[in-house]
Amino acid sequence: MRLRLTVVLITAVALVLGLVSTTTPAAAQAKVEKLVFASAGFEDTNRFWMVARPDHLQFDPFLETLLEVDPKTGTYTPRLAEKWEASPDFRRWTFWLRKGVQFHFGYGPFTGKDVAHSYALTQRPEAKMTLGPFWRGVEEVKVVNDYQVVFYMKKPATTMDYAVSRAGDFRIVSKAQWDKEGLEGFDKRPAGTGSYRYVGRQQGISITFERQDNHWRDKPAFKQLEFRIVREEPTRLAMLLSSEAHIADLPRELQKDALKKGMKIFTSTFPVDWMTVYLGGQYYLPGDPAFKPDVPWTNKKIRQALNMAINRKELNASVFAGKGTPTYVTGWSDKSEGFNSEWASRFDKMYGFNPARAKELLKEAGYGPGKPLKFKVVAFTEPGESEGPQVAEALGIYYREIGIETEIEVLDWAKVREMFRKKAIGCCIWPNIISWRPSEEWIRTSYWSKSPNHHYENEFVDKHYEMLTNAVNPQERDKVARTIGDHLFEEFADIPLFWFANEVMANPKVVGEWVYPGLGAGRSTHFHLIKATK
Amino acid sequence: MQRYIARRVLQSFLAIWVMSLIVFSLARLSGNALDVMLPMESTQEDYDRLAKYWGLDQPVHFQYGIFVARALQGDFGMSWKWPGHSAMGLVMDRLPATLQLAGFALFVSVLIALPIGVLSAVKKGTAWDSGAKVIALLGQSLPGFWLGIVLMWVFAVHLGWLPTSGRGGIQYMILPAITLGWFQVAAIMRLVRSSMLDVLDTEFVKLTRIKGLAEWKVVWKHCLRNASIAPLTFFAIIAGVLMTGSVVTESVFSWPGTGLLAIDAVRARDYQVVQAVVIVFSAIFIMTNLLVDILYAYLDPRIRYR
Amino acid sequence: MATVTARSRPWYAPPQIALALREARRYPVVALSILMFLLVIPAVFAPYVAPHDPLKGSLAKRLKPPVWQDGGSSAHLLGTDKLGRDILSRLIHGARVSLTVSAIAIFVGGIVGTALGLISGYFGGRIDSLLMRLVDISLSLPTILLALVLVAAVGPSFSTVIIVLVVLLWARYARLVRGETLAIKERDFIARGRVAGASHMRIMVHYIFPNVVNSLIVLATLQVGYVILLESALSFLGAGLPRPLPAWGLMVADGRELIVTAWWVSMCPGLAIMLTVLSLNLLGDWLRDHYDPKLRNV
Repeated sequence: MRLRLTVVLITAVALVLGLVSTTTPAAAQAKVEKLVFASAGFEDTNRFWMVARPDHLQFDPFLETLLEVDPKTGTYTPRLAEKWEASPDFRRWTFWLRKGVQFHFGYGPFTGKDVAHSYALTQRPEAKMTLGPFWRGVEEVKVVNDYQVVFYMKKPATTMDYAVSRAGDFRIVSKAQWDKEGLEGFDKRPAGTGSYRYVGRQQGISITFERQDNHWRDKPAFKQLEFRIVREEPTRLAMLLSSEAHIADLPRELQKDALKKGMKIFTSTFPVDWMTVYLGGQYYLPGDPAFKPDVPWTNKKIRQALNMAINRKELNASVFAGKGTPTYVTGWSDKSEGFNSEWASRFDKMYGFNPARAKELLKEAGYGPGKPLKFKVVAFTEPGESEGPQVAEALGIYYREIGIETEIEVLDWAKVREMFRKKAIGCCIWPNIISWRPSEEWIRTSYWSKSPNHHYENEFVDKHYEMLTNAVNPQERDKVARTIGDHLFEEFADIPLFWFANEVMANPKVVGEWVYPGLGAGRSTHFHLIKATK
Repeated sequence: MQRYIARRVLQSFLAIWVMSLIVFSLARLSGNALDVMLPMESTQEDYDRLAKYWGLDQPVHFQYGIFVARALQGDFGMSWKWPGHSAMGLVMDRLPATLQLAGFALFVSVLIALPIGVLSAVKKGTAWDSGAKVIALLGQSLPGFWLGIVLMWVFAVHLGWLPTSGRGGIQYMILPAITLGWFQVAAIMRLVRSSMLDVLDTEFVKLTRIKGLAEWKVVWKHCLRNASIAPLTFFAIIAGVLMTGSVVTESVFSWPGTGLLAIDAVRARDYQVVQAVVIVFSAIFIMTNLLVDILYAYLDPRIRYR
Repeated sequence: MATVTARSRPWYAPPQIALALREARRYPVVALSILMFLLVIPAVFAPYVAPHDPLKGSLAKRLKPPVWQDGGSSAHLLGTDKLGRDILSRLIHGARVSLTVSAIAIFVGGIVGTALGLISGYFGGRIDSLLMRLVDISLSLPTILLALVLVAAVGPSFSTVIIVLVVLLWARYARLVRGETLAIKERDFIARGRVAGASHMRIMVHYIFPNVVNSLIVLATLQVGYVILLESALSFLGAGLPRPLPAWGLMVADGRELIVTAWWVSMCPGLAIMLTVLSLNLLGDWLRDHYDPKLRNV
């Protein structure tokens, strides 16, 4: 009796467990009414003031910004603001707002109050934005009338247009909704002004949008849009090839496979990311206790040698499928303030591939077969940025050729950041990818001694950075920025490698055309411009 | 009997408490959450402000005290990576998916293991036996994630029979379940086989054979019934193993369960969620063991007095 | 000895060979030969057997296919990986790495587990209770998760992986040894030893332990495969052995994106793992069936 009972029990349990396929309906793939984008992932929450800039991808369809970035020219054009003007000292920015824009879900018209409200959100205690320090530089946001807003800045802000554009992280949301429903309501279903409206999220899995008809400007081709978070790269490729997804973020390695099976690459108009190898421990401020003279590359000759040992062409061809464009000073593109076109012509002589000369330089610095140079190469991967470890290993191979012993450690990004926040990264060099931002912002983050995350500091740079923050005349700004750039170039401050445009793969049977500029705020943007294939 | 149960329950709670201590310290050791959460462009002011906001500026033992006090009320804190969601809330949201996958995987393994176990026992020593053994052992020899990816490519991409990833109807579960479940087939099969062998030998069966019952009837009706006792204990262990094994499988197939949640939380240094997941996993494992122990004690009086 | 009957002798084999075949079938020949080929010989003789340096690569020669595909060459029998390193050499050196990691982990875990199991079974009482609770806790740890957290804390390294594996493995040994100790300690020869004045330590080491060794060996063999699989899973999740070690698990993880075009980068180490672990399991099974049926339900 007991035996029979246990047997029945076991069979029942197994059956129940097995047949418990809850009625979670399969994602409604209504042919190509819903465009699915398999992305590498983003920090998914509606609270845009807590999200780093690259993850603003998830807001691009439904939350708008004051200014647009033209997908073909890259210039800042009107969006929710029709006109804007800066005072001569760049401390007062006035925006004239567009009339007749309606928030989703019936929350009324867009007015200046909403701009002030959105600013207030960026000042909340839990806020952590990429442009956080910039927004803290705002003294006050004055709502002159329903369609005119003025930003008063503490210091001259020449990059305000960049900050309030689609390339920045200032999203406009509805004050009326906040007043009525508070944070809870906002979390549940945030109202924006975009050509898509928010439908829902599955935490950690996906976010869906639906086309908002009667948008003030855009007419997207696809009725529904879904961004899926898929960490594994082969899974994203599989989804693309089996038509579960129509667009996918794929690493360069897998692009070949996708191309072979008939997929197409849609490249951004402008470069977005650059890859550079940073040399830790360069704290040259006099008296800085973090400075350790036995860090090998505090000797300029070694920095140069480390540069000359690398065959950039080969590295580009093999790890990056030839897609990189050479960069001469980390962070400076020809769009940046202070770009010096002379760098291009001088680069080969100073940084070019020359292992013999590199070995000589090492010898001059006191290293050689008797006293080999040894250090660590640290690498990490982030979703969508998978080439770090490969570059590290490639470096190991190049350096081995000139007699340097390297140890490669693949760590968490967090660990690496902790190391350079604690100024304990003199042991290592590391490849890193950063997305474009104006020169002043870039210098502040990585080369200014008061930044918690800088890896290089120097009196010269500090002094000129202070000058830059106070300069308003464009020629003067360009001159100061160029001086800093030149310094970094001459000093071999890092090992600059390449610039990349953003490349996203899509199924040409579904996606006909897509022009987008390539912005740090999401890399792939302007989804409303995707044209369906006939 | 009462005392035995009471003792075991107490021990289980002790085990869970120790787990919480281990995971709390390890999580804190794993580095500063702020380094992951804050953008690189943040200033020192941002670090200080957020440290205060998340309570990270308190000394560690203080933080642990607060954690335990809240945990006893069921509050495991708010997630940092998914603001607005409570840590335990997230775990509970995702748990059904993992349980469903583990359950289905168990079902699949039993489905495969039972017949080949029986076959192996009945045809002991022959090629069938060896063949069955190899199939079972194969499952224990394949790296799970590799198997998952290969299955995905063959069945989802090349043949297009099944979806590649995600959760939906039963077709989404098949590949992950096979990946997860094949490992257990060997253990279950071995069990069924040895139990069957034991029973096949008994007088009782010989009697039924003499009685003239058809061979298959002998095997299926009489032996299998009696042979199913032993597997009971192992379901508990297997259930636990399946749940932890799911971390890799969920990662490959993007199955939205607690395993995937855990990986994301560890990467983001979201201590609150990591703690919640680890404690829930261990609690489930410890509880199932407890239940099985009690059931076993009920079935076998000798154990109670050990 | 038994004559070979007409029925059992394959028509192509003369009597002597048929006899040998029958004898050989007693031992897990297939398993053992695979093991020797894939694991032991490469592990021991790696530097002499491997055609290339496993750490040296050339970006110009990356992702070359194996020799039997077009584009392949006899210089790289199994092709090259993402960084132009020879796969075959990495497999061979990888055998050494896998074997070393498993050996160390099992050895240390085994010693710790055996010692604690002996103590627990021999002394009984509260020590036993305490240690068995520790075993329970240890077995209920969601190891992979904890490994991830640990690696997030201290970074991936050889020692981290060993620690994780030891924490995972010791409990099984402890449980096994304790069970056997409990059974053995009531036997006469133990009592006699005590009467003769032997210390507890001596009894455990010289009297009890030798009787437990058999089961330990079987368990250890069964665990090598498991350890190799676990290491590869950890590498997949980024919590395993550090680069650029040619660990098989790391190789599979590295090549997983290329599983479609450059399939050999992932498939070869995957197959190596599978065959090695399979033969280890077959061997372990055979050992268990022949030497220690008590372990059938482990």
